Amino acid sequence: MNQRLARAIAPLAVLALVVTACGPSASSSPSTTATGGPETQAPPATFAPASLRWYCCLGTGEDPSQVPTEEEVAAGFGELHPGSELKIEIVTYDAARNTLSTQIAGGNAPDIVGPAGVGGLAAFEGQWLDLAPYIQSTSYDLSEFDPGAVDFYKTDEGQIGIPFAVYPSMVWYKKDLFAEAGLNEPPHGYDAKYTMADGTEVEWDYDTVREIAMKLTVDEAGKDATEAGFDPEKIVQYGFEPQRDDLRGLGAYWGAGSLVSSDGSAKIPEPWKAAWRFFYDGMWKDHFIMTGPVFESEEFSGGGYAFFSGRVAMSENFLWTTYGVADAGTDWDLAAIPAYNGTITSPLNADTFAILKDSKSPDAAFAALTYLMDDASETLLNLYGGMPARPAKQDAFFEQLGQSDGFPAEVDWQVAKDSVAYADNPNFEAPMPKYNETLDILGTYLSKWTTTPGLDLDAEFDALEAEIQAAWNS
Amino acid sequence: MDQLPSVAVTRPAGAAGRLNLRAWSKLTPLARREARQGLLYIAPWLLGFFAFTAIPMVATLALTFVNLTLAQREPLAFVGLDNYVRLAADDRVWHSLSVTLRFSALWLPISIIVPFAIAVGLNSRHVRGAPLFRSLFFLPYVVPFVAGVLVWEQTLGDNGWINDVLRLVGVEKPPSWLFDSTWIYPALVMMGVWGIGAGIVINLAGLRAIPTELYEASRIDGAGAWAQLRHITIPMMSPILFFTLILGVVEVLQYFLVPLVLKNGTGEPAGATLFYNLNLYRTFFTYQELSYGATMAWLLFALTLAITLVLFALSRRYVYYAGAR
Repeated sequence: MNQRLARAIAPLAVLALVVTACGPSASSSPSTTATGGPETQAPPATFAPASLRWYCCLGTGEDPSQVPTEEEVAAGFGELHPGSELKIEIVTYDAARNTLSTQIAGGNAPDIVGPAGVGGLAAFEGQWLDLAPYIQSTSYDLSEFDPGAVDFYKTDEGQIGIPFAVYPSMVWYKKDLFAEAGLNEPPHGYDAKYTMADGTEVEWDYDTVREIAMKLTVDEAGKDATEAGFDPEKIVQYGFEPQRDDLRGLGAYWGAGSLVSSDGSAKIPEPWKAAWRFFYDGMWKDHFIMTGPVFESEEFSGGGYAFFSGRVAMSENFLWTTYGVADAGTDWDLAAIPAYNGTITSPLNADTFAILKDSKSPDAAFAALTYLMDDASETLLNLYGGMPARPAKQDAFFEQLGQSDGFPAEVDWQVAKDSVAYADNPNFEAPMPKYNETLDILGTYLSKWTTTPGLDLDAEFDALEAEIQAAWNS
Repeated sequence: MDQLPSVAVTRPAGAAGRLNLRAWSKLTPLARREARQGLLYIAPWLLGFFAFTAIPMVATLALTFVNLTLAQREPLAFVGLDNYVRLAADDRVWHSLSVTLRFSALWLPISIIVPFAIAVGLNSRHVRGAPLFRSLFFLPYVVPFVAGVLVWEQTLGDNGWINDVLRLVGVEKPPSWLFDSTWIYPALVMMGVWGIGAGIVINLAGLRAIPTELYEASRIDGAGAWAQLRHITIPMMSPILFFTLILGVVEVLQYFLVPLVLKNGTGEPAGATLFYNLNLYRTFFTYQELSYGATMAWLLFALTLAITLVLFALSRRYVYYAGAR
């Protein structure tokens, strides 16, 4: 009995499950004006011509406005390497993991997967090809990258990726809403303090965020959340929106950590508990953060992220926010991430391309991967709003990003560059046991907290920890 | 022609399930040829049945005794009943089963009574424009269900028109239908009721098959509408009601599409839509645990079979077959 046999059985298992259990009885435009196509000539092919499949999107890339450029890029590989072709398959992020699982289980795995985030790679741990032999045999130049960035993709499986795009986190804020409330804008520099309306300088931390976010939360009658008679049922503008895609990420803005403790058991880092309490109280007690139903509502959903609705004064989010931020208006800017207990943490997203072990043409797949990372990289990075992992290309990237349609004339992109120095380490998306199952448990608690007032959070944290541990034990 | 079905169909009760080779040898060459042709005609179905149902089912059963996962980090090995032991101790499994059973308790009576009641109404000679109503009730059934769910998502949203109406009539805080773990079930029931057109048509067909003489005779005997419903309509309709009950049980135990579309399969709010089949789907495709997923599928199968058998056993008491001997 071996892995090969397991893989042979897997397609049958998929079919069987489908038949026996699931049977029938029963926005936004891209932020740049990128163009597709290769930019340089590739070296002569050193691989047998192959028909390759490029699977998207375990990370960004699904927006309909992005697809034509992606298709153009894919076609460019075939033009560079006659006899070979690269076909892109777009699967929306929400469905991407399940669909890829099904394809792998069905013996129909694609060759290249990307852009894939850290979490996307972790979700398929054990199934990626070690690129090291291919990097060595083709003498692929990694010297342009920061060594730490290269090591970021070194796992037990080997070098599973090459640095491509990074997305640091910042505070995105609406200048007009601050002006309306008579408040000063949040600081752009990581060493700066915040100046309150009365001129006093205070630390730029989450206490300050709470204080000004309440002033920026306004109801239908124009009262803010600090005033008597404020009606939390009729809020028309919110003061703050955290990055709520994933409880781990939400916690990581308050401190880097992992659910895996030093002894391997499940343990929630203390800063994450503090962040989650801030989030919960912000929704149900202080009302400056949207509850789940409000977040999902048409008025505030903003096509995915509440800041895009233009009705949120401050929001923590990654650089890929550029894909839809034009909808928020033309008077937004970037500010530094606040500190918690004197420590600043700016969670990082990173995307790359990886090759599945099951690829039938790994040589050709590696050639296609390097084509995406090199020849097509500028096109794709602009398309995805990803900061190049090659430091030398970052200034040009931001210059082009700043000229995107619908963006304010002056955005302080230096904040994004500075944020990288405060990246979370360990990254919040790092591998953990039972990755997808643990994510689902976290999602269930996130859903519960955003829809249920009056919870005992200490008991919730204990229950969450116990449930994760039970999943890991199984 | 009488000889042909004797090969496999007309057999003494005690010989059920065994191929009657003696009968085959006694057949005339013509009858044998016809029998072979018959088998040939049903061969495509048989092939499909074995390829897509029987073999996969046996395969899933075999899978429950090994440790197959998508990544397969550990060597594939026989693990005996480990998957079943894990199933028994898996809180998530029991939670999803409890979600399914709670919803079943709410939905099943409604899914049987409402179509029946509407069908009785439409069958009444006092109702004018019955064909129009019949079409209107059936119309949602032909709308792709995914599209229907998306429309309902808007309708039941916090600021959807149902809540707008509730606010108009003075309800200050209307329910958060889709985000409250209690109100989500009535919301799912509403979506279900919207699509009961097929149930109405089945019930109507059953009602039309009841001999009118029974009603005429009862009327002569002085029976009112209620007595007719109780003593004629319901007993005569009991096979149809039983049929819809069986279908309803099977469907509700496999309830999947609505929570998948409505909540993207996340089980939100707070796990309230983590139905058993959705949990199974996630275990298999999201968590990539193929053997454990197969074990869960077999639990579902066993549960469905057990409930169906119990219902069939009870049906002898409560279901009246007018044509039965």
